[in-house]
Amino acid sequence: MAAHFDTEYQRLEASYSDSPTGEENLLVHVPDGNKSPWHHIENLDLFFQRVYNLHQKNGFTCMLLGEVFELVQLLFVVGFTVFLANCVDYDILFANKFVNHTDSSKVTLPDAFLPVDVCSASIRDNVAVMFVLMISGVFWLHRLIKFIYNVCCYWEIRSFYTNALKMSMAELPYFTWQEVQARIVEIQKEHQICIHKKELTELDIYHRILRFKNYMVAMVNKSLLPVRFRPPLLGESVFYTRGLKYNFELIFFWGPGSLFESEWSLKPQYKRGGNRLELADKLASRILWIGIANLLLCPVVLVWQILYAFFSYTEVIKREPGSLGARCWSLYGRCYLRHFNELDHELMSRLSKGYKASSRYMNCFLSPLLTVVAKNVAFFAGSLLAVLIALTIYDEDVLAVEHVLSSITLLGVCITVCRSFIPDKHLVYCPEQLLRLILAHIHYMPDHWQGNAHRYETRDQFSQLFQYKAVFILEELTSPLVTPFILIFSLRRKSLEIIDFFRNFTVEVVGVGDTCSFAQMDIRQHGHPAWMSEGKTEASIYQQAEDGKTELSLMHFAITNPQWQPPTETTHFISQLKERVQRETTGDRQTLTSLSGSEPRSLIANFLAGPPSLASLHLGRDGSLTDHGPVGVSDGASALRSLSVSSTRGSCSSTHRSAGHASSASRAMPGSSTDARTASSGSSVWEGQLTSLVLSEYASTEMSIHALYIHELHKQQSGGELSRHTWHRQDSDDSSDSVTEEGGSGGGNPNPRNPIPRSHTFPISTPISTPGPIPSSNSGPNPDRGTTPGQEVTPLQSNSQRRSGGNTDSVGPGGRVVRSVRVPMGGWAEDGRGGRHPDTVPEEGSEDDMPPNTHKVT
Amino acid sequence: MNCRSEVLEVSVEGRQVDEAMLALLHTILLHRSTGKFHYKKEGTYSIGTVGTQDIDCDYIDFSFVRVSSDELDRVIRKAVGEFKDAMGNGTDGMGQISLEFYQKKKSRWPFSDECIPWEVWSIKVNVVNLANEQERQICREKVGEKLGEKVINIVEVINQHEYLPKMPTQSEVDNVFDTSLKDVQPYLYKITFQITDTLGTSKTTWFCAY
Repeated sequence: MAAHFDTEYQRLEASYSDSPTGEENLLVHVPDGNKSPWHHIENLDLFFQRVYNLHQKNGFTCMLLGEVFELVQLLFVVGFTVFLANCVDYDILFANKFVNHTDSSKVTLPDAFLPVDVCSASIRDNVAVMFVLMISGVFWLHRLIKFIYNVCCYWEIRSFYTNALKMSMAELPYFTWQEVQARIVEIQKEHQICIHKKELTELDIYHRILRFKNYMVAMVNKSLLPVRFRPPLLGESVFYTRGLKYNFELIFFWGPGSLFESEWSLKPQYKRGGNRLELADKLASRILWIGIANLLLCPVVLVWQILYAFFSYTEVIKREPGSLGARCWSLYGRCYLRHFNELDHELMSRLSKGYKASSRYMNCFLSPLLTVVAKNVAFFAGSLLAVLIALTIYDEDVLAVEHVLSSITLLGVCITVCRSFIPDKHLVYCPEQLLRLILAHIHYMPDHWQGNAHRYETRDQFSQLFQYKAVFILEELTSPLVTPFILIFSLRRKSLEIIDFFRNFTVEVVGVGDTCSFAQMDIRQHGHPAWMSEGKTEASIYQQAEDGKTELSLMHFAITNPQWQPPTETTHFISQLKERVQRETTGDRQTLTSLSGSEPRSLIANFLAGPPSLASLHLGRDGSLTDHGPVGVSDGASALRSLSVSSTRGSCSSTHRSAGHASSASRAMPGSSTDARTASSGSSVWEGQLTSLVLSEYASTEMSIHALYIHELHKQQSGGELSRHTWHRQDSDDSSDSVTEEGGSGGGNPNPRNPIPRSHTFPISTPISTPGPIPSSNSGPNPDRGTTPGQEVTPLQSNSQRRSGGNTDSVGPGGRVVRSVRVPMGGWAEDGRGGRHPDTVPEEGSEDDMPPNTHKVT
Repeated sequence: MNCRSEVLEVSVEGRQVDEAMLALLHTILLHRSTGKFHYKKEGTYSIGTVGTQDIDCDYIDFSFVRVSSDELDRVIRKAVGEFKDAMGNGTDGMGQISLEFYQKKKSRWPFSDECIPWEVWSIKVNVVNLANEQERQICREKVGEKLGEKVINIVEVINQHEYLPKMPTQSEVDNVFDTSLKDVQPYLYKITFQITDTLGTSKTTWFCAY
């Protein structure tokens, strides 16, 4: 057959004259080539991190210079120390020994130096010095190699900026990160940096840059890391230093044998529940070894820390002794306050904005006893100093008398220290309001702080987040000594919990790799019913992020990245919340404009105008509106109203009342109003090029308002369930049960202690006798509370005079304390069992052939 | 990380291992190969032809299409042969063979060239022992069906319009394609395998076919 057809079908001779003879008709292709070297980058994590770092360090030159100086500094510290120890004749310096000069009697600095050969001999003879020198030499070489490698890498990033993103290094500082990010998203379409997706989202970039940081934030949030201790004498304290953090990261993320096999993927065996006990054992022994290594290296690190602290801080202390009394955000605070998916610069700007209010808040708490002592010490020291200075002015030879100069310096320091203990006479503090102002910036706060702002317990706990610089330095210095013990005795016991944590809270996201599931900011999976995601969340208690972290992080991310398109459910949540906040604020704009002539034009001013006008409105009509107002308004209105001062309280009441309407506006939220002022004063610039800066200011203001709103709503909703959200989740420290018990984390502390001693201001809850529209209007977003009207629990009356919501008037000051009422309520019984226990931990044995716990998220 | 990864899982009898592997690897490579490029002066190129060939399996009721290139076939057979030897014969076992497509990126002097994978196919093999001839007969048919499904899976994945390296210019053709073969030009690929023995420990062997 085939042969037959072959003969039938003959190839038609080519009759086209235009085809070149001797060459077949071929399709000719044009290669598109790899014109850009930026397609398909292998390690996107590192790549984005470097892009971010280069942006934060203001370009290549600045970064290079910074790193070079760091290297030089290292050499200097070591060299100078060795020189001081071995090459200086202190006898000459202190003039205990006289130099026999031929002509002049002046002692010069070079006289005090030992000759080079003596000096080098003494160094060579000293074994310890040689040892230190060798260690630091090795360390320095390591740094040098890393530096050279970094320069090569960052050179590439630099060309990425100039060629792909079309941003020159000179103008890089003028771009915000959001702009850089927008360009990256844009060029993804052209270059395909990431091959999984046609388009990159902002969240992808954040996830990659912050992969490990999100894990750390989540671990702190779930109180997994052993950073809280109860040493004898000191009371409850937090110990979290850079050294400790470094070790945690070493163990979990990148050290040899860590849980992650590469930057983007957890080792597969950790994703399976099958042999969690063996893995926990393995982790425990690894922690032990790292702890021992820390112990062995401890002297070296300690010496380094001391030297480093000495050289970097002594000059500052001499220049401005007050700086030791200054405060800074502690490392733990930064972890506790950080949102999921929040970059360093966002966090820092937020915390810096809260700094002033925070230090003012801390200054409210001056012990009267100390003040008296300080005043007197300052008096005596001051008189001595005055005499010395007067004498010096009269005849400067006084300075030549031994120790006069040093005593002048010492007295000066003494007076400065004392002065910091003496309160300013002309200031009036209102801690509650300050704390609210702080909250507007730091966004997180344990529930029990509200209404207890004036208490020392609150202050002490806040000082864990906001510590003295001196304490910070001291902690860093003791860190090498303490870290090994924390690792060996504290962290090791938690190994099983850690294994469980990583298994339960790791999701594989296509195009990103394994990330912490909390960082997905999925309300459904990790929302907390008490934080506005009631009814939307399906999370068990173990899965819920504490302190409303999921919800606040989501809002924060959505606000800072307006281009981001979240999944529909999430969009719904965000828009609902935004709408509510907007309604509260815009609804009251009219009242404001009618009340006071000043018409705020920009949107920000609208936001700002909301709370104070509301407050004034309510001050006027007080209780009447709370009963009859529409559900949403009274709900949110009370939330916003309490943003303003609780006007009948304490010392600030008089100032507040006397202050006019305008001042009440600025008092309500001074922080954000300053933001807004800078923003609205730049409204002429708005049309100009600086819009992005203005926008970011606007975003931070908006976020502040949202944070306050969410907190307020939470306070109303959670009512008496405060003890669940204890600042200090005790059971996590009593981790012995997690090792002994097979279920891993069963058990726990059955009675989470409340760290606050009860007082007359402690939560009172009373049953409401009138079921009906009032309670349900109050608890609008909290459906299951309305179901049992007889057991309705009123929002906390942390201060009997505080107006917290719609049903203020329904609680009499002498309300009966009925704690048992809460027991049958949803979630409470579970809470009482000890809170955060992983009920998702699968049973041993039954899960051997379970698929890995991770699920794909597209 | 910046690469797609696809996982295929098959359960076969000991003697079917190499044919099943060949069928899957060849199917993937069929879609990941082009004809040889012939570059012209103006930077354009024409593509040579690629023949295909039907292969019937001996131990499985299945036939597959592969690129009719003996050289390529030899390389793949060698890899599969080593994989089978490493699996040992007869006993139950688990193994995984991965076919990784990558592209090279030239780096400046201190660093060696980077090989950046863009697609990884992992084929997990579960070897089962069969008691009698009747079971073998059933298995023969079932594995055939399964492989048919897998081939469709592969084609579906490949039909999605996903990232592929861009067509290179003449100087860069070695960074994207394997030009060592005379008659066909697959994307640069690498075959590795991993054996999990009964104790559950796994060892990885790198068999690199460049």
